[in-house]
Amino acid sequence: MSESFLVIDDSKLLHQMYRLIFSQGDLAGSTIHYATNGREGYGLLAAHPDLTLVFLDLNMPEMNGLEVLARARAERLHSHVPIVLVTTESSEDDEARGLAVGAWDYLRKPFQPADIQRLVRRARELRRGRGAA
Amino acid sequence: MKAGENPFGDLLQDYIVESLPLAEQVGDAFVELERRWRAGDPGDQVLASVTGSLHTIKGNSAMMGLTPMRDVAHALEDLCGYLARAGASRGDEAAALLVTGGGLLVDLIGSASADTEPGAADQFMARVLGFLGVAPEASAAGPDRRQAERRTQPRAGDTEAASVVRVDFRRLDAMLEVLGEGIIQHSALAELYRRLLRRVGACEELGELDQTVLSLQKTLSRLESTLMETRLLPVSTVFGRFPRMVRDVAHAEGKRVRLEVTGGDTSLDKAVLDRLGEPLLHLLSNAVAHGLELPGDRVRAGKPAEGLLRLQAAAVSGRVAIRVSDDGRGLDQTAIRAKAEALGVDTRAADTAQLHQLVFVAGLSTADRVTTLAGRGMGLDVAANVIHALGGTIEVESRPGQGSAFTLSLPVTLAIVRSLIVEVDRERYAVPLSHVAETVRAEPETIRQINNQGVTQWRGDLIHVADAGAVLGTGKPCEAPRPFYVVMTAGARRRGLLVDRLIGHQDIVVKGLDPALGRPAVVSGTTILGDGRVACILDVVRILEGAAHGN
Amino acid sequence: MAIDGRAAVEPLLGFVDALPAAAAGASGPAPTLHLLTFALDREEFGIPITQVREVIRVNGITRVPQVPAHVRGVTNLRGRILAVVELRTRLGLVEGPVTAASRIVVVELRGRTLGLLVDRVSQVTKVPVDSVAPPPEEVVTAETDFLTGVARWDSRLIMLLDLDKVLLLNA
Ligand SMILES: [Mg+2]
Repeated sequence: MSESFLVIDDSKLLHQMYRLIFSQGDLAGSTIHYATNGREGYGLLAAHPDLTLVFLDLNMPEMNGLEVLARARAERLHSHVPIVLVTTESSEDDEARGLAVGAWDYLRKPFQPADIQRLVRRARELRRGRGAA
Repeated sequence: MKAGENPFGDLLQDYIVESLPLAEQVGDAFVELERRWRAGDPGDQVLASVTGSLHTIKGNSAMMGLTPMRDVAHALEDLCGYLARAGASRGDEAAALLVTGGGLLVDLIGSASADTEPGAADQFMARVLGFLGVAPEASAAGPDRRQAERRTQPRAGDTEAASVVRVDFRRLDAMLEVLGEGIIQHSALAELYRRLLRRVGACEELGELDQTVLSLQKTLSRLESTLMETRLLPVSTVFGRFPRMVRDVAHAEGKRVRLEVTGGDTSLDKAVLDRLGEPLLHLLSNAVAHGLELPGDRVRAGKPAEGLLRLQAAAVSGRVAIRVSDDGRGLDQTAIRAKAEALGVDTRAADTAQLHQLVFVAGLSTADRVTTLAGRGMGLDVAANVIHALGGTIEVESRPGQGSAFTLSLPVTLAIVRSLIVEVDRERYAVPLSHVAETVRAEPETIRQINNQGVTQWRGDLIHVADAGAVLGTGKPCEAPRPFYVVMTAGARRRGLLVDRLIGHQDIVVKGLDPALGRPAVVSGTTILGDGRVACILDVVRILEGAAHGN
Repeated sequence: MAIDGRAAVEPLLGFVDALPAAAAGASGPAPTLHLLTFALDREEFGIPITQVREVIRVNGITRVPQVPAHVRGVTNLRGRILAVVELRTRLGLVEGPVTAASRIVVVELRGRTLGLLVDRVSQVTKVPVDSVAPPPEEVVTAETDFLTGVARWDSRLIMLLDLDKVLLLNA
């Protein structure tokens, strides 16, 4: 079964970038769900309990990344699914807050394909660790 | 360079399609804001409406590697954040700045390419900086600096803004100089106390004098540490320029590089920081150009195609360590050995560490191959000299196939003395400027010999003029007359010192005297000059004292 | 410092102790001294390599006014100011010019780092301990005071310097 990921970001450009990254190397062939705002993202997260990794943009209209994260963690929604908070420079406070409310890690723009690949590798290890336990 | 070099370069059109309408919205909002402010409406909602768009533009531009767009969006974001809190600052000046910035952002994105000339963006950021209350000289220091300083500038809330005063850095330098005078006067006072004690013996008043002199010393050292702290700036003010530079060199060299910067908040004296940029720039370009391999070579060597370049700063036991490391091919020992042998250096007995040290030797520096990078022709030997002149050290470690690391150790603050550099009998000396009243061309007929001493008319007074060779004990008698004299002052004492050449003014870093040198009466310390040579610092006070006693 | 037999021998023992291989090898070949040898005028001197930190080329020595006669000046050793001792005058020879062969031997002694200006550095030399004799008493020159012994080896005559005494700089 192929892996699936969720990208929640209000920028279509960022969607394209993820698409590019997920079309390369061993990520090719995986399923990616896209949401363009927090509300939509929350819905997709609820509908897919088996995601390998979620990329959650911090700055979004409707419901921002922190709100999505806080709500998901408060409602214990698939708490085994790691969520990466995607930030931009000078969002240090929000990064700390994100980690505090349960982000698995954060990723700062500008990021490179290699950063995503590394995170996915780590998420797979996490998954394997859980599976074995 | 082409945007295609960015991993997402092919998405340039998508970037424009998404970002341009956002930028136009922002620009329109600023025009609307200006209209409202003129009408007396605070326009809070309009101001709040742009933050999301600006943030998205900043993120998108950063992802695309389009630095000017990212910087302008970031500056506007900071400016809006500040205006949202500081209602009183809203007005025509702020509005004009916003409108200009909005227009600039639209223009930049509309004609988006990574080749965009950063000039306009830099100018705009300087204006924002000026508005937010950053020292004006920062904007004279060059675009990269401005950009860097903006990043470290706290987004000033109203209270912060009220307690922050702009200070021209030259004033801090002047304060340091005055403090230096105070320290010298304190030691004169302490000496006077000791002489009085010997003459009249212990008494109550002298006990009090002793206490006062002691507490004066404590006050002065408190003043010194406060002043030194004021001079500290985070290293990020210099580091900020590097990501872009590294990216440019990487593009030019066809390398793929990820620059990882840590410890940007580590503090250093501004005087150290100001001179650190060039050597670090050199180490980084060198690492990209020579340390890291081409992507294909890396993959063949079992490494990720993208090279890792690390720039790390940390405070380590009272000093600051800065490390530039790469995971490239390491120093080419065979090449170093061959080059050294060609220059007549016997390397047969040299171990690996000694071989590596040779990269700092003039003529051996591998940097002469960095000629393709215009303006970055500084050799490793020159970089090392700059570091040494700052009172720092530089070490290199390297492993074949695994990479190299250059580690700089720097003092956090410096004892810096602005000095006149002079030459006497082919040696250079530093005369602290606080003791230099004037430099004069010595016309032989204006100096008369009275009692075997030169005497001349200076500003209406007769002053003695001594030969520096005689004072320093370096000259052979009956040499050609020296063409200049320096009028040195200490308190009420004055004296001319004849020298061969005036080299110029320079900030020097004071270093101590090795105990092996004994206690020479005419020299207070040493310093390393820009060319790596050591120069002695003249102890003007003692030279003038000695002259007075000798009379 | 009094010159009795013990004082003359002790630094020599130091030379040997500094060499684990020689110290351990009771059953192996005769213990050897590892010396860095260098030339001053036409004479060859040696110091234990354990006291040597590195050998550097002469890259400008700045004279310092009013220092003891045997101090040649200071030089920049990777950002540190290194005092350079004029070994020739210290040993009673005349001051010589700095040539392309001149080197500064950087030594570390009792926590201090100093440079010794020498005319030329040879390779590290291994000398059997039993080739070392006390300084010849018939030759009484300024330099004999600074010797711990003389090694006659491989048709060479190497004078072993007692750096402690040579660098007792303010005496
Ligand atoms: Mg966003």
